[in-house]
Amino acid sequence: MYGRRSISNRLSRYVVLLCAGLLLVITLLVGAFSRTLIERGTISLASRELEVVTSDVERVVAEVERAVDNVDWFVQQHRSEEPLMYQATRELVEANPNIIGSAVAFAPGYFHGRHWFAPYTYIDAHTNRIQSIQMGNESYDYPNLDWYRIPMTQGRAVWSEPYFDEGGGNRRMATYSAPMRDESGRMFGVITSDISLEWLSQRMAESTLFNGSYAVMISERGMYIAHPDSSKILNQSIFDVASAMPDTMGLVIAQKMVTGMKGTGRFVDVNGLDSFAVYGPLSNGWSVMLVSSYLDTFFNLYVFNLIMIVLLIIGLIAMYFGCRRLIRRKTMPIVEFSNAAMTMAKGNFNAHIPEVKTRDELMTLRNSIEYMQRSLNEYITELKATTAANERFESELNIARGIQNAMLPQDFPEDGRFGLHAMVQPAKEVGGDLYDFVLAGDELFFLVGDVSGKGVPAAIYMAIVRAAFHFIGSLGMPIQDVVRQVNNCLNDGNKNCLFVTFFAACLHLSTGELEFCNAGHNPIVQVKPDGSASFLRAKPNLAAGLFRDFPYEGEKLHLEPGSRLILYSDGVTEAERADTTQFGEDRLLEWAGHLLPGVSASAATLDLYSRVKSFTQGSEQNDDITILSLQYGKQ
Amino acid sequence: MNVTITEEGNKALVSLEGRLDTTNADQFMKDITPLMNGTHEEIDMDCTNMEYTSSQGLRMFLMLQKNVSARGAKLVLRNMKPHVKEVFDITGFSHIISIL
Repeated sequence: MYGRRSISNRLSRYVVLLCAGLLLVITLLVGAFSRTLIERGTISLASRELEVVTSDVERVVAEVERAVDNVDWFVQQHRSEEPLMYQATRELVEANPNIIGSAVAFAPGYFHGRHWFAPYTYIDAHTNRIQSIQMGNESYDYPNLDWYRIPMTQGRAVWSEPYFDEGGGNRRMATYSAPMRDESGRMFGVITSDISLEWLSQRMAESTLFNGSYAVMISERGMYIAHPDSSKILNQSIFDVASAMPDTMGLVIAQKMVTGMKGTGRFVDVNGLDSFAVYGPLSNGWSVMLVSSYLDTFFNLYVFNLIMIVLLIIGLIAMYFGCRRLIRRKTMPIVEFSNAAMTMAKGNFNAHIPEVKTRDELMTLRNSIEYMQRSLNEYITELKATTAANERFESELNIARGIQNAMLPQDFPEDGRFGLHAMVQPAKEVGGDLYDFVLAGDELFFLVGDVSGKGVPAAIYMAIVRAAFHFIGSLGMPIQDVVRQVNNCLNDGNKNCLFVTFFAACLHLSTGELEFCNAGHNPIVQVKPDGSASFLRAKPNLAAGLFRDFPYEGEKLHLEPGSRLILYSDGVTEAERADTTQFGEDRLLEWAGHLLPGVSASAATLDLYSRVKSFTQGSEQNDDITILSLQYGKQ
Repeated sequence: MNVTITEEGNKALVSLEGRLDTTNADQFMKDITPLMNGTHEEIDMDCTNMEYTSSQGLRMFLMLQKNVSARGAKLVLRNMKPHVKEVFDITGFSHIISIL
């Protein structure tokens, strides 16, 4: 229903993302930790392997040296006997599996005056058989070769730089040469033993830590003695290779190796791979190095990490679907609550709310919904009762309004002598304003009044006022007597101090004589035939209903035909708009001053009312509005 | 409409502030109840800050006046703003209530 945005999907996503983040951090930490451990382990493993290789090679070297030393005495004893010299070399080769060739080379002219005499026994590289020859001749002038010359010059046994023995053993080898001395200590030649570089290479090849790791051996000058790439042997030095590397660390390591140091180093190899080397010297000046790139070292770790990541991803996906399913099942009541709430919203307050067994938030939610349902039911019941009561009250008020309206005369006389129109607009359903008129022959009696307050209390009082006036006004008494009578009438039983202000007048239609009496009402507006408007400031006397026998005084005024009178209640002048500005007497007077002569009384009444309404701009009416307009003379 | 009453012996000094209309007339009635039930010989009302009174308000002053007259005491309204005074004049209330 909500698709990707449903709670189950969203929560599952959050959970899975959170777990993924956590697992990522853990994986990285474990990865880094494993790396460190593996690096340390590998280096110590390599160091041990280096020791093993070194001691293996050392042992062989020592054996060769010892074998040569052992045969030295025998050769001295029999140095003039040719067959025994051959025998000596043959025994060396036969007795020592690591020796592939051996020679006893005499100094030129020493052996019975022969320039070259060097019996040599070797294992033939092709047939693998032991053969003996005398190898000194014009084309193999051994006194000029290193393996002879250096020990003879230095007077001590030395290992030669590895070399390819052209014309001798015809293979790559290194030779141990020890000088022979006679009884007087004079050197008369050397005894040599050769070891095969192939053997060293094989031994080195056995010392691989991982796929891709390898061991090399270099001579004192850095020349490769053993290398997995056999083309490098005797052809390249470690410096040739190291100088082709991207960084200088290779050269540093090479330098340390040829100076006989031991250690580990890190460098970037010719292929750009980050690598490490463990190296150490041999006693004869050579040096062995084990090399591995980190890629190879950590290969298994990388494979392990990859598998772990794949498993984690699979696990997270499974977790996502599992979570989603679980959350969906556990939040099922929410959907049901939602449906129940919707049913309630549509008006069925008795909708079934699903049961919840878990004592958790869902239970709280369920209880809240149930409480809401109960409250709604009670509230609606109450509201219905209140509404019914209000409707009853309202309909009663409407009836009262009808009655009140009916009290005020609606049939305005159509008479050539005058025009009269009036209206009341209560602020509430009923109000306390009133107007009235009675036409009796030549006399027109009329009034506008305003009961204090508004609403129902004012309306009740207004009914009394209107009844009193209508009766007393029709008796034909002078106007001030009418007012005095009405005042006394209202004073009977008026404990609440309600009062009414009004302006009452009697117009003699034939003469234009106006008798009027003001009981505390607003000044009325008089418009003369020339259109000028002014307030008629009558004596205020006193609002009626307050003091019995108050001496109300009447006044007189002569109206010219074409005059108008505008009577009103303070609902007109005190009509307020939102900014509390009142309509006011000035606007009223200005309006009256602009009335056109031909405008009828009803048009004038309605026009003033609409002016007031447009002035208040829809603000709530705060008091009853009453307007009575009278036009005297021809219309 | 704020009503502040301070007593000075038999005299009550009252300060009126704001508008008095139909909506707060009942509250005003309650506020001046102490004056209606009291025994003050003189009630002096300061109307300097009174902004407006409706006919309902006039009724309240009238009731107070009747109450005060009945027990032979005296009610005086002072410092009324011109437009408020006008209401008292038009309705003739200035005849029955003493306005200084």
